[in-house]
Amino acid sequence: MNSQQVPPPPQVAGRSLSGDAPYTISVDDNRRVCRLAGVAPAEDGCAHPIFFYIATQVGMGMTVAGLCEVCEFDVNKGPLMAANRVQFSSPLQVATPYQIRGEILSLTRKASRKLGLMDLLEYQLRLHGADGRMVLSTNNTWVLPRGVPA
Amino acid sequence: MLRDPNPIHLDPQAVKAKGLGDRVINQGPANLAYVIAMLQTAFPQARICSLDVRYLDNVFAGDTVEAGAKVVSVTGDNSARITCELWLNIQTRGPAIQGSAVLELPG
Repeated sequence: MNSQQVPPPPQVAGRSLSGDAPYTISVDDNRRVCRLAGVAPAEDGCAHPIFFYIATQVGMGMTVAGLCEVCEFDVNKGPLMAANRVQFSSPLQVATPYQIRGEILSLTRKASRKLGLMDLLEYQLRLHGADGRMVLSTNNTWVLPRGVPA
Repeated sequence: MLRDPNPIHLDPQAVKAKGLGDRVINQGPANLAYVIAMLQTAFPQARICSLDVRYLDNVFAGDTVEAGAKVVSVTGDNSARITCELWLNIQTRGPAIQGSAVLELPG
């Protein structure tokens, strides 16, 4: 399949990924994540930094399956995480409600020798405290393998 | 916790169906958490300012992984900003994660 035959991906850039309900990192969830990662929970109430992904992903108002569905991709076909770029303005805190805002930045179709036809999904999620200030911003990239030989 | 139904993380049969073997695959954020733990152990007083990582390979159940980093620059007067290259390597296979981090040490 050459580039002229590759059908375009769904047009999803700009689609909002903003949660209605706030997300709170519970003390118990933070403790579990710290235990799995092999570190002790911080004594100052800071949450494990990996919650940059967990909190935004769960709080974005759409499930993983739902995000795949927006991209016309079956989650059972296995999206692959490709990259994260996160900037922290301040540390995450447990027992603190955060609001998640974001959007799909792009869905780009490529032909890969290894994966065949695949889409690169990039989306941005931002975490805001109760005062509206942004605590972090993360750009996440997934590979959605379409399974059609290149 | 991630509410991720991707069956490759849960069901060996799903992994087998993809021709990737018969061991479930660790979720990407779990692998990144190991890298973060390494940074926190190396710099216990530091605050992570940014992470920029690429996921290069799957980590399967039973794999042995090692997280590491190399300081490439230190800047700042009152509080130091440290830039590191970082990685999570799978024993016998190579990198699962590569990237960089910026950390801030208090003054």
